[in-house]
Amino acid sequence: MSLKAKQVGEPEKTLSGWLSNMDRASQYQGLSVSYKAKRVVARMSLLALGVAFEMASKHSVELQSELADWEDGRVFSLGVLPDGPSVSLRKQGDRIQYLGSGQDDAEIKILFKSIDSALLMVTCRMGSHTAFAQHRSIVHGNIAKAVQISRAMSIVQLFVAPGFVLKKICKQPPKLSPAQLLLKARILTTLPIAVLVAMRR
Amino acid sequence: MIPQYYEFYCPVKIISGLKALSNLPYEMDLLNAHRALVVTDQGVVGAGLIRQVERVFEGSNCEIGAIFDQTPPDSSTEVVRAVAKLFSERGCDCFVAVGGGSSMDTAKCANMVVLEGADDLMAVQGVERLKKPTKPFIAVPTTAGTGSEVTVAAVIYDEQTRTKMGFASQRLLPDVAILDPKMTMTMPSMITAATAMDALTHAIEAYYCLQKNPVSDAFALAAIKLIMGNVIRCVKNGRDETARLAMANGALLAGTSFSNSMVGIVHALAHGCGGVCRVPHGVANAILLPWGMEHNLEKAGAIIAELSPVLGGSTPGSATDQAQAAIQAVRNLGMRLKKLCGLPTTLREAGVTEDELAGIAKIAINDGTVALNPEEVTYEGALEILRKAL
Repeated sequence: MSLKAKQVGEPEKTLSGWLSNMDRASQYQGLSVSYKAKRVVARMSLLALGVAFEMASKHSVELQSELADWEDGRVFSLGVLPDGPSVSLRKQGDRIQYLGSGQDDAEIKILFKSIDSALLMVTCRMGSHTAFAQHRSIVHGNIAKAVQISRAMSIVQLFVAPGFVLKKICKQPPKLSPAQLLLKARILTTLPIAVLVAMRR
Repeated sequence: MIPQYYEFYCPVKIISGLKALSNLPYEMDLLNAHRALVVTDQGVVGAGLIRQVERVFEGSNCEIGAIFDQTPPDSSTEVVRAVAKLFSERGCDCFVAVGGGSSMDTAKCANMVVLEGADDLMAVQGVERLKKPTKPFIAVPTTAGTGSEVTVAAVIYDEQTRTKMGFASQRLLPDVAILDPKMTMTMPSMITAATAMDALTHAIEAYYCLQKNPVSDAFALAAIKLIMGNVIRCVKNGRDETARLAMANGALLAGTSFSNSMVGIVHALAHGCGGVCRVPHGVANAILLPWGMEHNLEKAGAIIAELSPVLGGSTPGSATDQAQAAIQAVRNLGMRLKKLCGLPTTLREAGVTEDELAGIAKIAINDGTVALNPEEVTYEGALEILRKAL
């Protein structure tokens, strides 16, 4: 089923219209306010995750060590089927570059089967391994590379999710070192601004 | 305990028992197919099993359009393309895989190529990418073993990138699986033992890994009972038809179980051993299974303990004691098989050297199965297991 229904013109100045403004792709006829809101939350969460990926790759020794084995120029995306919100990222040198929304050029796509499945993971109610175990997500592309990406995502999640959430969603409750805690504080305080900047890209 | 969410899918028609193979043309006809491409290997041909397949077409309204008997132990993109080309050139309308996992995977992937018209298999790599129905596909396993006759996965080697490509799709499942005891009777004792341990590993890992569900658990338990009750009989006397059929069923049940609840670190490490050191998959699983179970004791000990009675290791005591008993039962089986047919019980006996362990661990941590392992799989953790198993 595609969401590509008829667009309904300029959104009104209502809650529905405001939500439609937040997520241009949700300006479709017949979508409920709650569904549009879910799309917006998913879009913002994916955007935040993508930006956090970029930020963490600049400073996290663990993430850089993980990325060292990746080939340069690898483009991967996280998205929601059938044509929901998505973000693309690229490995460039020893960093991750956030490329923006969309996933046409991605060599590896991690796709959530539905918006509800996506929200479970991107809002940290579920770890990526649980999402995969529960068939919430599928992979298009090389599975070994997808496993590497999933591992990298778990490292990024360490820096954006609160400790009590990590204890619930990680297989091994993480113990962050003082350096990691400092980095986490830095990422969390600068993430909102970074997300706003990314939205304008 | 019911998991928070699960999926289970196995639409394969299973035909098992006396003269089961003679139903092959009938099943083809039911699928509206009449011209088979038989995918097999030289070992199966040499054992006279393809002659048995040819015989069952006599007097039927179906025929064999072509036989591809060059499937290597590790199938590749070149082989798959050759099979797909032969399928089209000979006007076939049905795949019949007769052999072990490699023949099954080759047929699955060739079916994909024929369906998608994809010259580049990399374009359809991944999970659930096929949406159109595939050509009719009947699986006739000659090992008791991989369970590929009921699994959604296929793995082949890409010569260009020199990597293994994984495919998982419900569309890859055969329409029919035929278990005829005569088709597994020619397996030598060592291969019987190794493939049996592969099947046992499927069942045990499926039972305690993260994707477990009540349906897959039922299949796993039934599989373990059949395997534990018949593997020694088969290894001692390969002509025991009853035991052979039981093992074939055990492998199929284990395959159904793990196709729907996946496996974990044992398979991840076994894939690494196969990739780096060419250790046969069943042999690697046999060696690594007790170590993998031990690695998961903290997170899945209570579940592993439930397997103790069916593994023959039941003992009074706590869940931990029961879990340890289960692991010891697996070790005891390994030792018995070693005495009977020389099945290795350490990686060193299988030809692995210490300097190869790092490479194996590196492959293992990127295996698709690690996500489903209850315990976190790190490089250091994988290396530690390998050192213990050496």
